[in-house]
Amino acid sequence: MVATEEDLAPATAERPVRTWPWLVLGVFIVLVLGSVARFLEDTIPAAAEGTSLEKFAAAVEYPIYAIALGLIGNVIVYYAGLRERIADAVRTEFFIKTGLVLLGASINLSLIVKAAGPAILQAVLLISSVFLITWYLGGLLGLDEKLRALLSAAVSICGVSAAIAAAGAVRAKREQLAYAASLVIIFALPSIFLLPWLADVLGLSPAVAGAWIGGNIDTTAAVTAAGAIAGEQTLQIATIVKATQNALIGIVAVALTAYFAFKVEKDADAQRPGLRQLWDRFPKFVLGFIAASAIGTWYAGTVSAAEAKAHIGVINDLRTWFLILAFVSIGLQLRVSALREAGWRPVAVFGGATLANLAIGLGLASILFAGFTA
Amino acid sequence: MSDLTPPPTAAESPTVTRAQRAALNEDWLATAVGLLLVALVLTGVIPTGLVP
Repeated sequence: MVATEEDLAPATAERPVRTWPWLVLGVFIVLVLGSVARFLEDTIPAAAEGTSLEKFAAAVEYPIYAIALGLIGNVIVYYAGLRERIADAVRTEFFIKTGLVLLGASINLSLIVKAAGPAILQAVLLISSVFLITWYLGGLLGLDEKLRALLSAAVSICGVSAAIAAAGAVRAKREQLAYAASLVIIFALPSIFLLPWLADVLGLSPAVAGAWIGGNIDTTAAVTAAGAIAGEQTLQIATIVKATQNALIGIVAVALTAYFAFKVEKDADAQRPGLRQLWDRFPKFVLGFIAASAIGTWYAGTVSAAEAKAHIGVINDLRTWFLILAFVSIGLQLRVSALREAGWRPVAVFGGATLANLAIGLGLASILFAGFTA
Repeated sequence: MSDLTPPPTAAESPTVTRAQRAALNEDWLATAVGLLLVALVLTGVIPTGLVP
C-alpha cells in the first residue's frame, strides 16, 4: 500500500499551501489521466488489429497505461511546480481499497472461505520467514534497529501500511518511514510486470500465480495491478492472499511494540499492548471486502443469472475505474530522491529480502495452492 | 541545549501520526463508499450502461 505525499513528506516550512482549488485541480488531473488510460485500453487493441503490434497491444492491460500515464503526469506536475499542491487529491490508499471492496462483490464467498486456510498458512509462514531474513540482513549490514524493523515489516507484510504500523510501534524517525515507503514503491513497480511474466514463463496455474503475486509484491495496489495483468482468477486469489497478509499487520505491530519496549529500550514502565491495539491496526477495508462478497453471493442466488451478471458487470466496471485511479496515483506519487539520501545498505537489504521473499513465496504457493480450483 | 534534544520519533511526530490517522480514516471511507456503490448498483439506482 502507498502513503500519500503529505503523510510522508518532511514537515518543512517551505511546504506549499494546499487549498480547495488545488484539490479540485488535483482531482481533475487524476480523473483526466484515468480517463485517458481507460480510452487507450478500449481503443488501442482494436486499432492495432491486423498489424504487427496486434499481439502486443492485446497483452497491454489497463494497469500499464494507468501507471505509465501517472509517471508522465508526475514529471509534468513536478516541473510545473504542482506536485506538492495537488498531493491531497492523489489518494492511492482510498482508490485501491474502494476498488478492492468492489472486487469483493464479484468473488463468491465460498472461494474466500476455501482459500482462507492456505492463505492464512502461507501468510504466517511467509511473514515469519521473510521478516526474520530481512531482520538478519539488516543486522549484517549494520542498519539502525528501527529501520531494520520498518524494512522487515514492509517487505514481509504489505509495504507502506505495514511500515506505518511498525513506525508507530518502534517509535522510528519520520525520515526512516519516508525512506522505507519510497523503497517499497520503487521495488513494487518492476514487480507489477515481472511477476505475471515469470508466472507465465514458469507455467504456474492461476491459483499458484495469484498466491505468489499476493504473497510477494509489497503494496496492495501493485498486487492488484499484477493480478489484473495476469488474469481475473489470478487477481481474485492474489487479493485474498494479500488481504490475509494485511489482516496480520496488527499482530506484527503489537509484537514489535512489546519487543522494542521491553527488549530494545528496556522501558520498565511500558504498558503491555492489548486487544485494543490489535483492532486499531486491523485494516477495516478487509471487512468491506468480505461484506461485499457476502452481498454479491447472496444477490447472485436470489435473481436470474442474466440479471446478476449484468449488475455484477457494472460493479466490475466501477472497480476498474477505482483501480485505474489508484494506478495513476502510484505513478504520480513516485519519488526517487529519498533513496539517494539513505545510501546503498538499506537498498541491498531490501533487494536481498525481496529475492528471498520471491523464492520462499514461490515454494509455499506451489505447495499450498497446488491443485486449488475456484 | 537544542543539540541534546533527541530527533523526533514516529510515535511523537505529527507527520507519522497524521499518516496513521489517514490510513485508518481511508479504511473506513473506502469500505463505506465501496459498499454504497454495490448497494446502488444492485438496487438499480446506477443502471447498466451508465458506467463507461
